[in-house]
Amino acid sequence: MARTQRDTDRGRHRITDGDGVAVESALVGDGLELSYPTSEETVVDCARLDVPEGAVTALVGPNGSGKSTLLKGLSNHLEPDAGTITIHGNDLNSFDPKELARELGVLSQENDSLGSITVEDLVYHGRYPHRGFFDGVDVEDHEAVDRAVELAGIEALRETELGQLSGGQKQLAWIAMVLAQETDVLLLDEPTTFLDVHHQFRVLETIRQLNERKGVTVAVVLHDISQAARFADYLVAMRDGELYDWGPPEEVVTEELLADVFGVEARVTREPELQVLPKRALSDR
Amino acid sequence: MGEAKSVGGHPSARERENWLTGTLVLFCLASTVVTVVAGLIQVSFGEYSMTLRGAWEAVFNPAVIFNLEAWSSFLFGTEPPDVSTESVVVWSLRLPRVFVGVIAGATLAVSGAIFQAVTRNELASPFVLGVSSGAGFAVLATLVVFSGLSPFLPLIAALGGTLAFLVVYTIAWKGGTSPVRLVLAGVIVNMVFQSLQQGLFFFADDLGVVQSAIAWLTGSLTGTGWAEVRIAILPAIVAIALALAGSRQLNVLMLGESTARSLGMRVERVRFLLSALAILAASVAIAIAGVVSFFGLVVPHIVRNTVGSDYRRLMIGCAFAGPALLVTADVAARLALGGVQMPVGVVTGLIGGPYFLYLMRKQRSMGEL
Repeated sequence: MARTQRDTDRGRHRITDGDGVAVESALVGDGLELSYPTSEETVVDCARLDVPEGAVTALVGPNGSGKSTLLKGLSNHLEPDAGTITIHGNDLNSFDPKELARELGVLSQENDSLGSITVEDLVYHGRYPHRGFFDGVDVEDHEAVDRAVELAGIEALRETELGQLSGGQKQLAWIAMVLAQETDVLLLDEPTTFLDVHHQFRVLETIRQLNERKGVTVAVVLHDISQAARFADYLVAMRDGELYDWGPPEEVVTEELLADVFGVEARVTREPELQVLPKRALSDR
Repeated sequence: MGEAKSVGGHPSARERENWLTGTLVLFCLASTVVTVVAGLIQVSFGEYSMTLRGAWEAVFNPAVIFNLEAWSSFLFGTEPPDVSTESVVVWSLRLPRVFVGVIAGATLAVSGAIFQAVTRNELASPFVLGVSSGAGFAVLATLVVFSGLSPFLPLIAALGGTLAFLVVYTIAWKGGTSPVRLVLAGVIVNMVFQSLQQGLFFFADDLGVVQSAIAWLTGSLTGTGWAEVRIAILPAIVAIALALAGSRQLNVLMLGESTARSLGMRVERVRFLLSALAILAASVAIAIAGVVSFFGLVVPHIVRNTVGSDYRRLMIGCAFAGPALLVTADVAARLALGGVQMPVGVVTGLIGGPYFLYLMRKQRSMGEL
């Protein structure tokens, strides 16, 4: 609990990275309380959450810790009971839906299975927020789609129907659709879950490239703490709907965190690089 | 060089407009041919006997086709000009029925396609959201209780359908709607209105009233004429044009609710407006043809199987296939039993039901919500 308190205090003033340099936040949640309309219970209660500008932030935590709920709140899919969310300093509610969709891209966890739509058609739907009701596709749309398809590395699949793709290829197609939105901030809910290792890496590499080449701010829910520790610039660890810790992986990932948050005994090595080696489940949870 | 570059630079730019596929064009052409042939058969037979040749000459009689006076009498109800008896029979009695079939078929098919996207349920139809039973109840109530209002029957049918739909939407609304809740609420409202309909039959004291009520409830084109065309043509054109314009919204809606929201769509508003559009289309059909069963459910499936599930293609396909199938079904309803005319709804129900069962067996994925 003391740890959470410390984070809260730090967040209220200025966030700094490892070298004490101030970090701008692209997306800030302040005093968030989130619950679903079907139940009274508050699922997420988070005093302050920062998604730093131009970096990749990973949300980690055990099942049911509120990662996905928090992401839904941040993306305006879930109206918060209390608190505000700002993107680049502007309240999320001050945006028109299409305006917001040009600033903030979201990929949900469950995507419906669509049989007979081609990958290219799907990616073109990513241009929806850029087009008016009667607008056709213009050169800008074509270029955005080409870039998205190239970045996701699925040029060869453009004409293929979604029903014929493997789970991993499908996920890349959906990611290309979100990329075609060309937003400054991107939220992804468990994009690597259920994928084979090859496609997990392709998804993560796509995200990394997007971040490095275009400076896009990314917040991604990841299932796997060791993957998150290697991949992300910042980690947000959640437990029971609350923020447990926040910061660069080297600071956040400790044996204590793995025991407290994930309920596993693990060895954390920092040389030559940060590595998490889970050993066994702790019995008290 | 510069020219070559501008052509070669963006291959996909040209390919993009290729949703208008050869299959779709062929499908629409075939549907048009079927509509025309069925229409010609329809005008060639009947109580006033004439030769095939005589009937077709009457259809393409230049004295009618290029006569402004004749068209003004059809479309605005002014005094008809003097032409041959054949032309009068064909143009005033038999052809309008074909046109009514065309309008009702197109609007029902488009309405069904919209409802299937809005509820994201392939088993949805114009009638699953309570529209048919609401309209049917309004018609029955008018015929039995408020018989003075009979001239406004089509309008009343549309009002009844809209009212039932609003009730369904209100029941399903709980901080937003979901496709499943909409369908469930539709089933419940359907059952209530059907009970009310059956109750009303007990208050009917005239056999003629009962028969005309049954014709409405099963869907029939018997006795339709230019008056029905006049009522329906404008709203039908508006509804179909809007449906074509909205097909991209339907495509995005098909991606799933949360994706549509992420892309910046106001999902609830779009869903409500599209439903209203589908009601308008269904009401047009109900107002002129009554409640034609199974039609709005089956036609989108036939079209989807042929041209694919992209709504830009599906909508156009429905606007062509609907008329072809309803006019053909009406030929069967009017001529198959010789002297007796059946309501067309009986034919669509008898053919549409088994066909739909066949589809369900063939496609394993159909039952999934």
